[in-house]
Amino acid sequence: MFTKIKQYWRVVRSPSGYFSLGFLTLGGFLAGVMFWGGFNTALEATNTEEFCTSCHEMRNNVFEELKQTVHYTNASGVRATCPDCHVPHKWTDKIARKMQASKEVWGKIFGTISTREKFLDKRLTLAQHEWHRLKANNSLECRNCHSPDSMDITQQSPRAAEAHETFLIPGRKTCIDCHKGIAHELPDMSTVPEWN
Amino acid sequence: MKNITQKTMQKIIAGVLLVVAGAVFADSMVSTLRTDTPLNEEQKAPKIMPFEDTDKKLKRNYPEQPPVIPHDTEGYRIDLNANKCLSCHARSRTEDSGAPMVSITHFMDREGQFLATISPRRYFCTQCHVSQREVKPLVDNDFVDIDELLHGAQSMEHKSN
Amino acid sequence: MLQNKITRRALLKSQAAALASTAAGLPLSGQAQNLVTESNKTELKWSKAPCRFCGTGCSVMVATKDNHVVATHGDAKSPVNRGLNCVKGYFLSKIMYGKDRLTQPLLRKTNGKFDKNGEFTPVSWDEAFDIMAEKWKTALKDKGPTSVGMFGSGQWTIYEGYAASKLMKAGFRSNNLEPNARHCMASAVGGFMRTFGIDEPMGCYDDMEAADAFVLWGSNMAEMHPILWTRVTDRRLSAKHVKVAVLSTYEHRCFDLADIPMVFKPQTDLVILNYIANYIIQNNAVNEDFVNKHTIFKRGNTDIGYGLRPEHPLQQAAANADKAGGSVDMTFDEYAEFVSEYTLDKAHEMSGVPKNRLEEMAKLYADPNVKVTSFWTMGFNQHTRGVWANNLVYNIHLLTGKISEPGNSPFSLTGQPSACGTAREVGTFAHRLPADLVVKKKEHRDIAEKIWKLPEGTIPEKVGYHAVKQNRMLKDGKLNAYWIQVNNNLQAAANMNEETLPGYRNPDNFIIVSDAYPTVTAEAADLILPTAMWVEKEGGFGNAERRTQLWHQLVDAPGESKSDLWQLMEFSKRFAIEEVWPEELLAKMPEHRGKSLYDVLYRNGNVDAFPLSETAEGYANQEAEDFGFYVQKGLFEEYAAFGRGHGHDLAPFERYHEERGLRWPVVDGNETKWRFREGSDPYVTEGTEVEFYGHKDGKARIFALPYEPPAEVPDEEYPLWLSTGRVVEHWHSGSMTQRVPELYKAFPDAVCFMHPDDATESGLHRGQEIKIISRRGEIRTRVETRGRNRPPRGLVFVPWFDASQLINKVTLDATDPISKQTDYKKCAIRIEAV
Repeated sequence: MFTKIKQYWRVVRSPSGYFSLGFLTLGGFLAGVMFWGGFNTALEATNTEEFCTSCHEMRNNVFEELKQTVHYTNASGVRATCPDCHVPHKWTDKIARKMQASKEVWGKIFGTISTREKFLDKRLTLAQHEWHRLKANNSLECRNCHSPDSMDITQQSPRAAEAHETFLIPGRKTCIDCHKGIAHELPDMSTVPEWN
Repeated sequence: MKNITQKTMQKIIAGVLLVVAGAVFADSMVSTLRTDTPLNEEQKAPKIMPFEDTDKKLKRNYPEQPPVIPHDTEGYRIDLNANKCLSCHARSRTEDSGAPMVSITHFMDREGQFLATISPRRYFCTQCHVSQREVKPLVDNDFVDIDELLHGAQSMEHKSN
Repeated sequence: MLQNKITRRALLKSQAAALASTAAGLPLSGQAQNLVTESNKTELKWSKAPCRFCGTGCSVMVATKDNHVVATHGDAKSPVNRGLNCVKGYFLSKIMYGKDRLTQPLLRKTNGKFDKNGEFTPVSWDEAFDIMAEKWKTALKDKGPTSVGMFGSGQWTIYEGYAASKLMKAGFRSNNLEPNARHCMASAVGGFMRTFGIDEPMGCYDDMEAADAFVLWGSNMAEMHPILWTRVTDRRLSAKHVKVAVLSTYEHRCFDLADIPMVFKPQTDLVILNYIANYIIQNNAVNEDFVNKHTIFKRGNTDIGYGLRPEHPLQQAAANADKAGGSVDMTFDEYAEFVSEYTLDKAHEMSGVPKNRLEEMAKLYADPNVKVTSFWTMGFNQHTRGVWANNLVYNIHLLTGKISEPGNSPFSLTGQPSACGTAREVGTFAHRLPADLVVKKKEHRDIAEKIWKLPEGTIPEKVGYHAVKQNRMLKDGKLNAYWIQVNNNLQAAANMNEETLPGYRNPDNFIIVSDAYPTVTAEAADLILPTAMWVEKEGGFGNAERRTQLWHQLVDAPGESKSDLWQLMEFSKRFAIEEVWPEELLAKMPEHRGKSLYDVLYRNGNVDAFPLSETAEGYANQEAEDFGFYVQKGLFEEYAAFGRGHGHDLAPFERYHEERGLRWPVVDGNETKWRFREGSDPYVTEGTEVEFYGHKDGKARIFALPYEPPAEVPDEEYPLWLSTGRVVEHWHSGSMTQRVPELYKAFPDAVCFMHPDDATESGLHRGQEIKIISRRGEIRTRVETRGRNRPPRGLVFVPWFDASQLINKVTLDATDPISKQTDYKKCAIRIEAV
């Protein structure tokens, strides 16, 4: 077994005697493109609602709850899918988030939230992760669609306009500070500062 | 005109009769919560209208009436985990939110004692407070406001003086 | 001849305006003072009255000024609601002031004469009673007493129901008297009578502050009994160990407080109930001492049909359709064997509820240290096996001995303000008499005839047509003179197009509707009688915890409106006793010859025993003034004679005007909180601890009853379940609450609550107009995929308050064969885009 690996290693290490440098460069480049394309396609495939909701943990809990909300159906018909809010759009951040997601695969395998009860027990922790992330990035994923610069508060209800004028526009608060639970049911909020 | 066949004429007569019959039936309709549709027929279902979202406080019919909610509350959850209404209307939240504080009566328990926080019996706000949709009432209401009675009585007094 | 026709438009144009106070609407004076402070002006007269809506029985303080109700609030002195009301209760002030109040009798006429297809035309009370009496006399003469009938309500005051019972059962000698409580409570009654031999809950609302766990079996208390829900919420949130389990076929507002939420497939509640009994036995949690001393076991008849018309294939196929209520004795071991098939696996498989939740709930019942209160309402009662469901939940409480003590309570809630007080206690059903007596037993009829001072044999033995059968008999032309009071049965009864409407419009029939407002039932009638409501008359209601509450008349009714009581008594004057009783009956009491029905029934020395002078000072009393004696007190005292000394004792009349109600039996001035328990219930024999004295042997029955399928299940053509019900803002058919602008605007039109995926799959979206179609009819409504109700895939929910979306055109008139109560929660439909 060991000798076989050694043999392969020798072949890989030794300079090519059969192929031209051009072929190797071009071939390597093409292979790289194919690999990269494949990687990105695979990455994008995991970045869809279909993928997220292929697990019952997502489908039966958070996705079911989303269906009751404005991010599922609304006046203009613009839909937010899971990754729109939960996966950063910038590539490096996205990769970082995907690395984190390996932990979720682990959770899936070990059934950390395999029942509704387990999910509800874990809900506060899970929600806090998202709240912290959004707080830290100034609600970046919200702002991908809802930019304060493009917000016409005269088109909003008086209550919303007042709140946005006082808190959002001067930067006193970020979206997630006030809009927790906008897309999913809330965990026990007794320890959350704005709620208790 | 002479081209009109007998059949067409029959159709017209039948049509006229139907209209007349319909009119007779329509006159015996008294159920004011229905529009002019016979009981055994179905009318177009009214659109689901949005909630009024003006934030404008409405006059109460009498001081004991729970105020109606002058804004949209769709999607506001009140459950074992959280009460969305209190995130603005709780005493501690009103400075930031600018919302009216829940009334002092809400701190009373069954025995009329004031508790440190809102009484759990008042936890589910929507049992008494409701948002209003942008619709016109089907039937007006002749309830007389106490102020009208008082001022009416006073102006009567002035007249007789 | 020129006629003053009444149409929708005319009614909406404020005929009531002329009746508004002369003080109202006058121009404001120009004086500077902007606050009226003189006490003679600002003082309001506050009086108590029970709420007009549900069976909770909240007490309300009502302020009046110049013959107007000007404000209402929850009565802080009432132990039921302690100062709270729900949104409907807080708007009681406005329910009497809809602009379209009926103020004069309306008769369908053409050219000055009654015509079934004529137009509604104002007539005098005299003319109204003339035509009514003529039609009743014709029916009685041609076809006998079974051709006349009356459909009343759990919203009748005690006096009204009692007066109606006398008029129908003794006066016209017809048992075709029913309350709409048949649609509401009949299965609960059936459950009580079968298990305990006596009607109504053993516990009381005080159970809520004592319970460690609540299990809701088909009861959306958060919307239907909001004030009781405040007490459950109070207990759950203030004592952290308390658990709430909620079972339903769809998620509703009660799930917001649920520790153990359970959505089950329709009809499988029967499986879950039997599973819990099995769990209790398998885990040695049976309270053997209690079971041995206080219970016996019965095997109920099965395959009992669905209460459909006899020719229906499902009825033909049922082996025991004619003896649905039968049962035989069995032993505990046989019972244990019977329920042993209801395993956790089976319960999970059939109901779709996760095993851990079923087990968690079963443990609450099995743990002797957890006090459990079970609640149910229409989810159990409106069920083709509703009596069974009631029996099965009692089984669980009896097996564990968790009954008749604070916190341990199987509690049947009621839907109407006096479903208990009037429909059940007065006994306005086709088979009942006051205080749990029944018409088919001679000794019971004898008691009633004696109290009523009538000859033996006056009350007919044969049970009358029950509510659903009344509609069928109207359609078939066998019931021809029919009077509907305080309810909207055209909107409420199932299968409207095939059964109800054809019966009302049958040319052989004369239909009278007494109501305050022009309902759809009124529209289908021939004669409409304008009726006083709520505090426009003196009245009494009995709530779900056996609490009897009386109130005074606080304002006058508008125009020529009169109370149902006045109408019943006045109508009785139109009949000479010889016109309604046969000679052989009259011969037994010749002193009645030459008298009117009014004289025989209401001037019998009981009802007219109390003079006008005894009426309360400071309160008007229209009926007493018109008839010349204190009618209500006379009726109350005669009625109370049925129950005093027989487990249904009422306190002296006057005391009810002082107290916020009392829970019967009231013995030696004390109300009874927990019946059947020694120390709390004076009727329990000393030394027995617990005695279920409704049955002669003092024992309750534990029934072996299986799962049987519903009458109609979804299939390819009609793939969805339909469940109907209410919303918190509207009460019943909305005839009062839809006329309060704030309540109307809170929930203006019915909608079809459905799962978003069901909508998407059918190409539908939220707000889209759809048709809901069953084998019987269809309505047009709109899709709602959000909001307070969240049905699972395969089921839709539509409320029935909307007069423009009559969902009972779609529902099936299948009933529980024992209770004859309709199942409004299960039928098969399909949905199409309009």
